[in-house]
Amino acid sequence: MPSNASNSNGLQRLIAQLAPLLIVCAVVLALPVLLNNDFLLNKVARYLVLGILTISLGLSWGFGGILNLGQAMSFGLGSYAMAMALKLKTVPVHTGVSGLPDFMVWNNVQHLPWFWEPFRSLGFAIAAGLLVPALVAAGLGWFMFRGRVTGVYVSIITLATMVVINLVIIDQQSYTGGFNGITDLAQLELFGVAFDAYGRATYYLVAGCVLLSLLVAFAFTKSRAGLIVQAIRDHESRVRYFGYDVALYQIFVFALSAAIAGLAGMLYTVVMEFASPTFLGVQLSLSVVVWCAVGGRQSLVGAFLGAVLVAGMQGALSESAAFLETWTLVMGALFVLVVLFLPKGLAGLAQATWRWVAQRRRAAGSAVARGVSQTEGST
Amino acid sequence: MDQFIEQIVTGLSIGSILLLVALGLSIIYGSMGIINLAHGEFVMLGAYAAWVFHTYLGLGLLASLLPIFLVVATFGWVIERYVLSLLNNRPLDTILATWGVGIMLQQAVRLMVGSELRYVQLPPALSDSMDVFGIPISSYRVFLFVVSITLFGATWVLMNRTTVGMKLRAIIQDRSVAASFGINAKRVYALTFAYGAGLAGLAGALVSPLKSVSPDMGTGYVVDAFMVVVLGGVQSLAGTVASAFILGELSGGIAFLQNDTVAKAIVLLAIVVLIRFRPEGLFTARVRA
Repeated sequence: MPSNASNSNGLQRLIAQLAPLLIVCAVVLALPVLLNNDFLLNKVARYLVLGILTISLGLSWGFGGILNLGQAMSFGLGSYAMAMALKLKTVPVHTGVSGLPDFMVWNNVQHLPWFWEPFRSLGFAIAAGLLVPALVAAGLGWFMFRGRVTGVYVSIITLATMVVINLVIIDQQSYTGGFNGITDLAQLELFGVAFDAYGRATYYLVAGCVLLSLLVAFAFTKSRAGLIVQAIRDHESRVRYFGYDVALYQIFVFALSAAIAGLAGMLYTVVMEFASPTFLGVQLSLSVVVWCAVGGRQSLVGAFLGAVLVAGMQGALSESAAFLETWTLVMGALFVLVVLFLPKGLAGLAQATWRWVAQRRRAAGSAVARGVSQTEGST
Repeated sequence: MDQFIEQIVTGLSIGSILLLVALGLSIIYGSMGIINLAHGEFVMLGAYAAWVFHTYLGLGLLASLLPIFLVVATFGWVIERYVLSLLNNRPLDTILATWGVGIMLQQAVRLMVGSELRYVQLPPALSDSMDVFGIPISSYRVFLFVVSITLFGATWVLMNRTTVGMKLRAIIQDRSVAASFGINAKRVYALTFAYGAGLAGLAGALVSPLKSVSPDMGTGYVVDAFMVVVLGGVQSLAGTVASAFILGELSGGIAFLQNDTVAKAIVLLAIVVLIRFRPEGLFTARVRA
């Protein structure tokens, strides 16, 4: 039956698309078995978190066509949400009178500000780490996409908004820790498990979140809404003429991407043991764009691997200052080359290679078949 | 009253620096549609060129302005020719490519001359101060104001009264029709980009005595300059001038009333709102598409 055939065909395609994703997740989960070094494991966990952040950008940029140059804003908001909760949980020695965080004591703040109060609850903090970035993004998205702002202007607005929030955080030292950020945090404790930054539990928490975000993002790109978002990326007006509410879909993918970035931010605080204004800085935000472009903006796994590989390489080379300096130069050149010649990044390259190999195989196969049929005909 | 005038003069001074930096960006963005994130690095190259000419060749700042323009323009020409011209019809990718180029330039400078701060001497003839409306201000700032207006005038003449400018305007209107009339669009684009880069280099050289020179000095300028261009409207040179001085006065004024951070944040927010409601800028007439 044709319908049955196409169904199994679709299933096959789905499996083929899921395969790299599952392989990557298997490797990520198996790594602690091979890597018996807590310090190194912490480093890897850090790169994995940056990978999640890059997946979130791939979702809005690669699939939604929204080049968000302020992706680190959502990341930073998530990171601060987690840091605020963990700060309030520190042992009283480190905090001032009546549990006031130390930097507030130094800044002569008398009472815990109202917006810090709810962060005494870890559950609230985690919800806030996801929802605050998502809501801020939805608001910003509403502001931009309802006004049909597109292309370059979206990038400028997102970048400017992030810089404003960054400036405010640095400026309001007595409530946010200012330039130093929020340091000296308690360990995260969830369901009786303590997540030490250098422990295996933290690594598995991060790895689980990698799996979760990859699957959520993948499911979204396969969903009806995900397809419409991709159609908007390719031809916005045509989708609008079909009667779809273009802005609504854009806002949704923008907010979803922000929530995933918020999740990454929370994990980053757990892994790094502090939150800092650099987490929502221009430097990081633009680096994420590089990772995403190098890995492949239209491939979730590609974006993830791009971040892990490039950030990992940078980390490995940072042992020596001279190396790092040269590396940054090489990095810039690599990035320019990728933009010029590989607009789909390494993932695109891998796909093209794969297709080429498959084609060669098929060609060779059909040649053999032809040869067989010819010999059969002659006898 | 004195304080008020002083504020106005400070604003004018900030505005003339903004105009210097934004002029090149405005030309490139307005005519080629390229958001040149390497613009700040061109500014930085200009400042370093001033430093090199001064320390190694003993040239004064004023004498080295023309060579600096040529050097940085050459950089721009090469970059347009070998990177940007490959990216026709991919405007978002030009942001990324120019940003990558910017990183390379910045890092190359850091590797070659180190990341220490460098200083460029004020031209001796301009190091005193003069009275303007009864307020003493440094002659160099007055000089900057005059230069920025002069450069704007030169650019306007170049765009509106020369053959190259006419060709460029023809290409902006319709590239293929212009090409069919025998205009070499590629060459004109390369020249335009080189000119914009050269202007950025001049800006860098001219601000170098006021601020210290470092490999990452360009980053702040590119954001500010970009805001000027957006506010002024993409294809309006006069708009760029007006918005440079408006932003100069605004940030000077708010910084006086509040502080620098608040000034920056408010200006950025204002720009965001402006892009949303008037993406064509404050000073452009709506054109029929």
